[in-house]
Amino acid sequence: MDHSGARPIWAFLTGPYALFLLVLLLVPFANIALYSLHPYSPTKVFLPELTFDNYRKIFDLYYVRLFGRTLRLGLITTAASVVLGYPLAYWLARARPRWQAAGLFLLIMPLMVSAVIRVFGWIVILGRKGLVNQALVTLGLEPVKLLYSETAVVIGLVNIFVPFMVLPVMAAIERISPSLEEAAQNLGASWYQMFRGVILPLSLPGLISGCLLVYSLSISAFVTPALMGNPRERMVGQQIYDEVLVSFNWPGAASLSLTLVLITAALIFGALFATRHAGRQAKGL
Amino acid sequence: MSARSPRLLGPFVIATYLGLLAPLVVVIAVSLGPSAVFEFPPRGLTLHWFEAFFASPAFVTAFFRVSLLVGLLAATLATVLGTSAALGLVRFRFFGREALETFFLAPLLVPEILLGAALYLFYARLAVQASIWTLLCGHLVICTPYVIRSVTAGLVGLDPRLEEAAMSLGATRVQAFFKVTLPLLRSSLVSGAIFAFIISFSDINLALFLSGPQSTSLPVHIFSQIQWQGDPTIAAASSMQIVVIGLLILVVQRIFRLRLVV
Repeated sequence: MDHSGARPIWAFLTGPYALFLLVLLLVPFANIALYSLHPYSPTKVFLPELTFDNYRKIFDLYYVRLFGRTLRLGLITTAASVVLGYPLAYWLARARPRWQAAGLFLLIMPLMVSAVIRVFGWIVILGRKGLVNQALVTLGLEPVKLLYSETAVVIGLVNIFVPFMVLPVMAAIERISPSLEEAAQNLGASWYQMFRGVILPLSLPGLISGCLLVYSLSISAFVTPALMGNPRERMVGQQIYDEVLVSFNWPGAASLSLTLVLITAALIFGALFATRHAGRQAKGL
Repeated sequence: MSARSPRLLGPFVIATYLGLLAPLVVVIAVSLGPSAVFEFPPRGLTLHWFEAFFASPAFVTAFFRVSLLVGLLAATLATVLGTSAALGLVRFRFFGREALETFFLAPLLVPEILLGAALYLFYARLAVQASIWTLLCGHLVICTPYVIRSVTAGLVGLDPRLEEAAMSLGATRVQAFFKVTLPLLRSSLVSGAIFAFIISFSDINLALFLSGPQSTSLPVHIFSQIQWQGDPTIAAASSMQIVVIGLLILVVQRIFRLRLVV
């Protein structure tokens, strides 16, 4: 092992990607920060003066509603992902190796298929003549309008992001020794008492990172709300897409993007703090 | 599985998997059905929509000349960049190493739609036209962390003394790396490369911003076809992506630990 001798080999090894990220990650976001301070002009895209107007605009009713809707849908998606993902994570963590391998494949394979394809599947299922409505008609009920609603968006988002809940929770549960479970149950605890007293507190760090991932992914979603949502009830991702590519209000898009980045960053730091705290508490048990 | 886990867990897990896989099953079924509207369950079996796919210049270009090409290039370049970065991070101790590691994995935390918008506005500032190269650069940002993760996992499980032994037997550092370390890293390298390919191949959020009219990727083309209410050729194209990705993930699972990459 080289402990940085005369030639800093590590710099040659890490340099290319560091440089690449500097040019294609940091500089573009600095560029966005700059755009967000210019006034928008319908004819010239932006004017050279500097202003905070683009940020003031975010407090207009339209944008407050936009952010409110986005953050609320993110919250519902995250809660639903916990309900669906946690049991799956527990099962995967405690499954026999062969079942676990099959389960992981069936979890990660859909995750890796393009979001647009999974959304397309849901459009066929939830559409006017889709699977759900066919079933309703067969049962003699009226077909319902499911697509192009908030419900449809949440179904789509949960379906796409639930693996991001399952993976960290599963990793956390795997680190809990099964003998702890047995000990609690041998001492007379019911499964649910054991779960509340042992599994849930010890898996909290994984649960927090899962919630954080799902939440930050859902509040920046674009494809799902664009294809499954009501066009008049948009999410922030759609607004950014439109202001960049349709209305060419680049300063507006830039200020929206930075606001979303700040929300995500605040969440990450909050979660890091919460994870440390939860970790300390778990150790104190 | 502990003998006394709740009785409802099994059915619940099966139901969750059904929901998770339902959209993919439906897409594949629609691609094989005869109906021109999206119909499930299909009333027969036909390869008509796959013929339509290969007869459509827009779909063939999007699949082969854009998505496949960019995916292969991204996988190759991300593997080189990522392997070298992972080696630097794992095998050397230097000031700021942990900060650099966080920086290298940061693209995984940046919402993709924002990265896409940021790169679009950056290219616009530099007056760079959209092409497969702008798309490739964007994909390298999000693909490389997967290679870094997988190669780091491989390197951590590898005894550095093997390399030192080769060097004490007279190999140079470079020879020791290429003759000893690299062959031992093969499975984590291949897994990283496969994941880099998959991430690029299935990406839509960056491609929406970075694809030009001559470089529309498959997911972007599918997206616009859904908006324009296209026919089940969309389903055929989607099925092909599902099959490619499914097979590649099976390969990763065979040769390496899937969870170390995701």
